[in-house]
Amino acid sequence: MRAHEQALVHALHAARLTGRGGAGFPTSIKVAALFDNEADLIVNACDGERGAAKDAWVIEYHLREVAEVVELLCAGGSRTVWWAAHRGSSTAGRLAEVGLPLLEVPHRYVSSEGSALVNLARTGVAKPLELRQPTADGGRDSRGRRIEPTVVFNAETLWRIAQIMQYGPAWFAAQGTDEEPGPRLVSLSGYLSHPTVCQTQTGVPLSELFATAGGLPSDAQMILIGGLGGGFVPAIHVPGLAWGRQWLAPLGAGVGSGVVEVLDPRLCPLVFMGQLIDYAAGESAGQCGPCMFGLPALADQWYRLVVQRNSPEEFEHLWHGVQQRLDLLRGRGACHYPDGVSGWVRSGLSVFAEHIHAHNQGFCPTGGHQPARR
Amino acid sequence: MAGSPAQQRIKVDRIACTAHGFCAQVAADLFDLDDFGYPIVRHEHVGRHMSSAKRAVKLCPARALYLPSTE
Repeated sequence: MRAHEQALVHALHAARLTGRGGAGFPTSIKVAALFDNEADLIVNACDGERGAAKDAWVIEYHLREVAEVVELLCAGGSRTVWWAAHRGSSTAGRLAEVGLPLLEVPHRYVSSEGSALVNLARTGVAKPLELRQPTADGGRDSRGRRIEPTVVFNAETLWRIAQIMQYGPAWFAAQGTDEEPGPRLVSLSGYLSHPTVCQTQTGVPLSELFATAGGLPSDAQMILIGGLGGGFVPAIHVPGLAWGRQWLAPLGAGVGSGVVEVLDPRLCPLVFMGQLIDYAAGESAGQCGPCMFGLPALADQWYRLVVQRNSPEEFEHLWHGVQQRLDLLRGRGACHYPDGVSGWVRSGLSVFAEHIHAHNQGFCPTGGHQPARR
Repeated sequence: MAGSPAQQRIKVDRIACTAHGFCAQVAADLFDLDDFGYPIVRHEHVGRHMSSAKRAVKLCPARALYLPSTE
């Protein structure tokens, strides 16, 4: 590693910057691996999570800074760079407009997962890889084919690197909580008067985040934090909560990729969940059996639990069956997609338990729409 | 290469695995099968089950089982 590269790794370590795509991996380690292995680089600007809009925001307003960091990381163009965005998205249009090498990503939830982008760039297939070793070192896929060293960075992460280079690690680390330092973007969507991307940091009250989007409507009941890999937070908890792991983890949520969605209180939440579980089952890459078969099985069990009237014994049996299915989705995929869905559905079972019981009595507290068997 | 046997884990390459189910036959102490025939790893840390772990790795028809380096 050359001196200026070492200095950058050092600064990122001091700033304690972590990846802003969701996994929260220390950026200094990734950048060091990039330099050590002379790896190629993928910029992930896909906004892959449900409700995410921040990558598009970064590309729209801070593309110049991101491009400068990419130039630096790639030793002035001696390594290959791909800019990944969903096919036909405004982000893809913007990147193509300025002549950057675009990696067009098909519209599927898992296709913007890190290893799926590596696979797409290297082999043309946007499906996650089972990595027996990290792609930064040059891994092998399930068929034993070699994958050249490749590192994926989220677009916001690269913008943060630019800021740390400009303002210094101390400036960065002084913002937010000690545990999760630095400025962050959060995408606010759903039942809001002004959905937006807000610039914030950990420790800021959730009510202040919502204020940037016109405020949390007084009739809002439920918030989904972290999309399909996150968890539900009842709106009544919002006044006591701030953005950050220490406030969100006890409720089964986290800062993840920075997405907050307010559910429409006029729609039965079990209809919402059913639609999303169906969607989740369809979004599996279909590579790993536990996900490919497990998610449709989960959808089937979910509908039997919430749609029909069940005797207390039947209900108990079905409830237990769904829990078992959720257990079987954990840690059994090449990527963490089934783990995320498992946690998200478990969170829904917990916060909507009364609602599910009401359905079993034959009525819906929301009124109006009822979940229908598919 | 290999670290202490106590830390040795066994992993299933979930993409390569096509539910032949041999692992649950030849290493019943380490693997169960789910309702679709895919393995459930009972002890990811292999410990005293090392010999059946090695047997399962060797006999998996999909070459889907592996013992990652413990470094």
